Amino acid sequence: MIRIQRGRIDVKAVVDSVRRDDAGAIAVFLGTVRADPDVEALDYEVYTPMAIRTLTDLVDRAKAKFGVLGMSIVHRVGRVSVGGDSVAIACAAVHRAEAFAACAWAMEEVKRIVPIWKRESGPRTRRTPRRRSGARRKAREARA
Amino acid sequence: MRVQVKLFASYREIVGADQLAWTLRDGATLGALVDAVLDAYPRLRGHRDTMFLAVNRAYAQPDVALRDGDEVALLPPVSGGLG
Repeated sequence: MIRIQRGRIDVKAVVDSVRRDDAGAIAVFLGTVRADPDVEALDYEVYTPMAIRTLTDLVDRAKAKFGVLGMSIVHRVGRVSVGGDSVAIACAAVHRAEAFAACAWAMEEVKRIVPIWKRESGPRTRRTPRRRSGARRKAREARA
Repeated sequence: MRVQVKLFASYREIVGADQLAWTLRDGATLGALVDAVLDAYPRLRGHRDTMFLAVNRAYAQPDVALRDGDEVALLPPVSGGLG
């Protein structure tokens, strides 16, 4: 399952899409919208045809690189409120090690190459979609 | 030849449109197109070093030759995922 969608993500459906009898592990990652100061929601903009293409290629590379059995990725487009899921990745593998590794790798690849941009939205925040600087991201992670 | 130039996020806001129809000489490269767009929209120039380029929905380098009807995209650094 590779999908860009406006509505909420049905996490169970994403997990079920990679279930198979020869898998001994399913790793699931959810990216959620964090309640940073002045942030009530994130608005996601997607170049959907290219995003689907890059996600499809990403899943193929994950299978080749980690030997995973199945991987699904669903990303939201449009507004996602604080606490909502913006992205879900489910990865099935024979053993947990490759499931965890592939899931983590896939999320990094999503942030690196998939044409998706986000804009913070809040009472005093009307920002242009942008990439967070490394310093700012590290500061946020340090507070998390 | 004519190509479509798609713009996203901050680039769309700078240009004021999500798509431009652009005419250029046959055999022109992607880099030449980008230079022409940046000449027409100078506020994009400051973004050149971080701009990603795509042709027909795949990342591309500036030296690629364009063809009539190509869909070119100027992409700000991506930022999907968690937030």
